[in-house]
Amino acid sequence: MRFITLILRNLFRRRTRTLLTAAGLAVAIAAVLDLVGVSWNFERAFSSLYQGKGIDLVVVRAGLTNQLSSTLDQKLGDRIRAIDGVAKVAPSLMDVVGFEQANLVSVLVNGWESGSLLFSGSRVLEGRAFRPDETNVAMLGRVLALNLGKKVGDTVDVAGEPLRVIGVYESDSLFETGAMIVPMASLQHMMGREGQVTGFVVQARSSTAADVSALRARIEAAISGVAATPARDQIDHDVQLQLVRVMTTATTALAVLLGSVGMLNTMVMTVFERTQEIGVLRALGWKRRRVLAMILGEAVCLGLLGAVMGMVLALIGMHGIMLIPTARGFIEPTVPPPVLAFGLIIGLALSVLGGVYPAVRAAALDPSEAIRHE
Amino acid sequence: MSDVHPSPAAVPVLRGERLSKRYPDGKVEALRGVSIHVNDGESVAVVGPSGCGKTSLLHLLGGLDKPTEGEVFFRGTPLAKLDGDRYRALEIGFVFQSFHLLATLSAVENIQVPMFETPRPPRERASRAEALIEQVGLAHRRNHRPNKLSVGERQRIAIARALANEPSVLLADEPTGNLDSRNQDEILKLLEDLRQSRGLTLVTVTHSPDVAAAAGRVVRMRDGLIVDS
Repeated sequence: MRFITLILRNLFRRRTRTLLTAAGLAVAIAAVLDLVGVSWNFERAFSSLYQGKGIDLVVVRAGLTNQLSSTLDQKLGDRIRAIDGVAKVAPSLMDVVGFEQANLVSVLVNGWESGSLLFSGSRVLEGRAFRPDETNVAMLGRVLALNLGKKVGDTVDVAGEPLRVIGVYESDSLFETGAMIVPMASLQHMMGREGQVTGFVVQARSSTAADVSALRARIEAAISGVAATPARDQIDHDVQLQLVRVMTTATTALAVLLGSVGMLNTMVMTVFERTQEIGVLRALGWKRRRVLAMILGEAVCLGLLGAVMGMVLALIGMHGIMLIPTARGFIEPTVPPPVLAFGLIIGLALSVLGGVYPAVRAAALDPSEAIRHE
Repeated sequence: MSDVHPSPAAVPVLRGERLSKRYPDGKVEALRGVSIHVNDGESVAVVGPSGCGKTSLLHLLGGLDKPTEGEVFFRGTPLAKLDGDRYRALEIGFVFQSFHLLATLSAVENIQVPMFETPRPPRERASRAEALIEQVGLAHRRNHRPNKLSVGERQRIAIARALANEPSVLLADEPTGNLDSRNQDEILKLLEDLRQSRGLTLVTVTHSPDVAAAAGRVVRMRDGLIVDS
């Protein structure tokens, strides 16, 4: 018999209690993993929105925390293009619409120019992209097409305007795959924002941090009232992303606190119930550190069981989240392997936080007194 | 044990000098200056009414507890100078009235429990446990959990467990206290056989006149004192 056999047998001595404790830990860990997973996927989607396209700077109105509320004159594009160090410039108008019949309350509509650099990273799966002179047409992201049940040749109503679906595309960014692209002029007309754009994306001639920083300074000096933000900063400073990070950290802290209290409760109870047994083991010559290893080993196994159950629950939960209409197209229904590994770390952390005190207490028991314990 | 002096013939295997034991509340004085010696290979029964200090004396001799005053010697070396855990693991075997077998382990696995403190690899632990369970006549019950064994069988397993690390001293606290007369006789015979075949020293705490009669020497206690030895 190996020592681990003894630990596992002890753990399943009170099967119901062990499974209930593990289930409690699993729920806490699953909640953390799903939130971290959402945050991770959200950030990755956001990141590929810019970095996948080779965008170095995003130019919007200065002083705004939400990019969607930015409004700039489309003609500023020519002035930016003329600045030294700029390779390419593309205007972008973004808005959000709803499709009540499909239960989609928040769908991103991108107004782009035909052939814009913003199209890089997107692949047309069905149909085609729009031509420069085309209006009242739309390209649907694959997830949006799926959610709306539309295909090439169908019509979608956007802000009261019927648009003909001419293409379905896939993008490196989930945000775009859950969104639609329409000609810039069409979106400006639909939203009553003729001549206006949300902002510009800029490709620099040199993408080194120093050159991008210098270009940023030149743009902001040349055009008053605009902020040229490096793509990475744009991601880091995004309000929604920051909110998700705060929520993730808070949920993780809460889950670890609740989980470790649950673990502590179970292990303290275990040690109390087994006081006499621990006394006997000490009488048989077991050292304090072996008693400590046994109790801590039980806590670690319990924590790992909770972590594995939590991972399974997180994967199920993530697919459950996708049943929520607002999540479709914004959240990727996967929990990446590094996030799953984080679940194991949390499981071990809970084991240590909840198991150390009972283990130390068990090891410190006076054997003679413990044997007399009823 | 490496830190124990070689035992000259005249040195008792266990010796208690003026042992006193007061429990932390200070009200109960379990032992009051008791001195005792047990020679190598001897069988000693400690008898007396409940609360006279028999079990406290056994715990002090077995290094489970420390005396408030006085000292216990093992083969002439004070227990205070020995590693208590190693002493209990290698030199002493404990047998309890309520057996105290681990409910989650089979009979043969229970015998292996004290061997975790030895460098024996798992396979050797297992083969040694098999030999011991055969010696106590329960090889056919090797895979049964304690709740599937009779009380007599449980005590046999507990005795085999006490012998797991080949101790030189067996300390038994009311080993037949929970047994009927038939099982009592069998356990007494087993203990005596083991003592003789292995040259064990046996110290038994008991209420039973039959157990006392089976011992080579009887130590009588009352109110924390030895009144007859």
